[in-house]
Amino acid sequence: MLRLSIRNVVKTFPGVRAVDDVSLEVEPGQVHALIGENGAGKSTLMHLVAGVYRPDSGEIALDGQNMIGLNEKATADAGVAMVFQERSLVGALSVAENIYAGRQPGNRCGVINVRQMQEGARAILSELEVDLDPRTTVALLSPGQQQMVEIAKGLSHELKLIILDEPTSSLTISEARHLFRVIRKLANKGVSIVYVSHRMAEIFEISDKVTVLKDGRVTGVRDTNRTNHGELISLMVGRELSFEPDKRRSDPSAKVALRLDKLQADRVRDASFSLRYGEIVCLAGLLGAGRTETCEAIFGVRPITGGVLEIDGRPFRPEGPADSMDAGISMLPEDRKDGGLFMDFSVQANVVAANLPAFTKNGLLSEAAMKVKASEYVQALRVATPDLQREVRALSGGNQQKVLLAKWLCRNPRILIVDEPTRGVDVGSKADIYRILRDLAGQGMALLVVSSDLPEVLALAHRIVVMCEGRVAGEIEASGATEISILELASSKASEPEKAA
Amino acid sequence: MNGNKLINRIATDRPLFLIGLNLALIVGMSVLRPDTFPTSGNAAVVLLDTAQTGILACGMMVLMIAGMFDLSIGGILAFSGIIAGLCVKYFGFPPIPAFLAGCLWGGVLGSINGVLVTRFKINALIATLATLSIYRGGLQLVSGAGVTNLGNGYTVFGQTQFLGIYSPFWFMAAIVVLFAFLVSRTRFFRQAYYIGGNARAAKLSGINVNRTVFIFFVIMGLLAGLAGALLASRLNTAVVLAGQGVELKVITAVVLGGASLSGGVGTIHGAFLGVLLMALLQNAMIIAGINPFWQLIVVGVVLLISVGLDQFARSSTRA
Repeated sequence: MLRLSIRNVVKTFPGVRAVDDVSLEVEPGQVHALIGENGAGKSTLMHLVAGVYRPDSGEIALDGQNMIGLNEKATADAGVAMVFQERSLVGALSVAENIYAGRQPGNRCGVINVRQMQEGARAILSELEVDLDPRTTVALLSPGQQQMVEIAKGLSHELKLIILDEPTSSLTISEARHLFRVIRKLANKGVSIVYVSHRMAEIFEISDKVTVLKDGRVTGVRDTNRTNHGELISLMVGRELSFEPDKRRSDPSAKVALRLDKLQADRVRDASFSLRYGEIVCLAGLLGAGRTETCEAIFGVRPITGGVLEIDGRPFRPEGPADSMDAGISMLPEDRKDGGLFMDFSVQANVVAANLPAFTKNGLLSEAAMKVKASEYVQALRVATPDLQREVRALSGGNQQKVLLAKWLCRNPRILIVDEPTRGVDVGSKADIYRILRDLAGQGMALLVVSSDLPEVLALAHRIVVMCEGRVAGEIEASGATEISILELASSKASEPEKAA
Repeated sequence: MNGNKLINRIATDRPLFLIGLNLALIVGMSVLRPDTFPTSGNAAVVLLDTAQTGILACGMMVLMIAGMFDLSIGGILAFSGIIAGLCVKYFGFPPIPAFLAGCLWGGVLGSINGVLVTRFKINALIATLATLSIYRGGLQLVSGAGVTNLGNGYTVFGQTQFLGIYSPFWFMAAIVVLFAFLVSRTRFFRQAYYIGGNARAAKLSGINVNRTVFIFFVIMGLLAGLAGALLASRLNTAVVLAGQGVELKVITAVVLGGASLSGGVGTIHGAFLGVLLMALLQNAMIIAGINPFWQLIVVGVVLLISVGLDQFARSSTRA
């Protein structure tokens, strides 16, 4: 019998057909990957399974039992666990209480049996091979440990189906390895796993079957070992997309725009590299390697505590972002919602936000000049927006990213720093953003790009600087680089038993 | 480095810090004013002073753990006192039913707050600010001058002495012990942490967030009603202006006791220690003969410091 069977499910929200006639089958013990661009309907579909939303029509059954009409608690009791992208833990409570959230064992009056709860939590954690004291406060755990607690939460009652939504996005490599072992173990015990992700490498490593969603519809179901990367991408976007490396190469005799020599700042211990005009240098490395921090030091957000920073061969010590902006540097922050865009402002207001003096005459802002500039960028970067006055919040992630890019290009920088240029961006916009960045380099701009997405690093970079624990671990020419060679450098220090502090 | 660690410890282990502060204040005052401060009479005064704030702090702590709060408690308190007073004096209720009527009226007003916040989705700050004004206006419509000289044996609740301390303290002690148990050990009250920590996740864990928050508001109302009925009994008069500004004192004590404005943290014993500290501070200032206006300033400064500690704790755990 099928573990999970979804038949012809439809879910509409005002104005959007989020899930459109989707069918999906998962067998017991199967690891089923669900992939698709942002907005393809993956999350909505899984929320329907977990009972958060109710479908407009269609059937959902678990082990042949109808699931429609059950709320979150009832689906959980039926054996469905969902581990969300955003954390669902309470920092102030213990591991055990988080695992048993809302269902702590106790007597009939609702008085909690603490010992029983801790013993139960301990058993679940040891099954997951997690070495954690159930009494520990969750706020003290690493992201990886917290993720394990999330999964343990799912195991706290009889589990038939677990839904993992982008589970590795905040994990280190070894934590992700551990997670995969646990997934395999659960699958071998007959638990079915729906694995929502857009990391191709993981899908090929962990899943048995892949379902691809696009615009709320299923565009393909494949056995993982009978498909390939290119086929899945084309199913996701509906067309073949190539991220071939750029043929254009920077002139090796071009002037050096930016040079770091043993630069130090908080969490940056020793960063040395240089960047020429017309060149794209990618900073690669694991989470917490100090890449973003290095960029922040260059941009004047993070105080420099030692070493040398040079722009055009002259020493440069920014006191704040204003200094760096005056020196011709623009930086796109990692989180466009948090530090980049004014989400409730219009496209136009965002494009001009970092360069208001340029549109000011006699102390007054010139609406006409702003309009001209904004529409120029909207066309050049192909921002899909109905008009310039549309709130940025209403745009897709890819278009938001383009608006962010426009905001900083508006200052005509000579050096552009981009932190995670395509995080949460659909594949189509990704291609556009790659093209834009390459064109900028072709026009002579110096680009420093931070990215955790290795295929992206390989596609964009002319030269790759790999960081590890606040230091530059090495440099690789893009032509000779592979994902493996980058990863080896990125984790080289971590494997050495060198901690002498 | 070391200093940072110390502040961090203070910010994270709040009850321990409060015990230290309370002890320091007691020892300090005993040394400075050996004749007036460390007497059994003065101790009784301090403990009685914790009664009203302590009762209210239990309900407020539960609400704040769940990420809510209630500014209308002063209004509920006064209104409930008036209702109890009217019942006993004009409707001829015996003392116990009148007392209970006061408490229940508090519950009714609390349920109005609960409906506004959970059904009509009005922000708790705005909703209870509005009801504070409504309740205060309402109670003056009902009884413009208050109810004096209640008589009829009603004073038994507030004027009985046990071990040299008046009964309101013992009501408060019982409630603090009860709530400390409920909040630390029962499933229903533990839900507050999940709701305040992450309301969406709480919902997905099968917790009925709206119903639970509604009940928390009703409980807050019942406790404010109890405090009002007790005060009327103690004074033998239901005063229209009773509980004016009490919400400031209670929120200060609760935040001092470890609650965060964003919810998810706090304990009942922390809240009680916060209440005790406030009462000791006030007592110390009175004994030291400090101008009452300065006392108001001190309350404000204490609130700022405790919120500052909360911010610091959060920024340091995030880093």
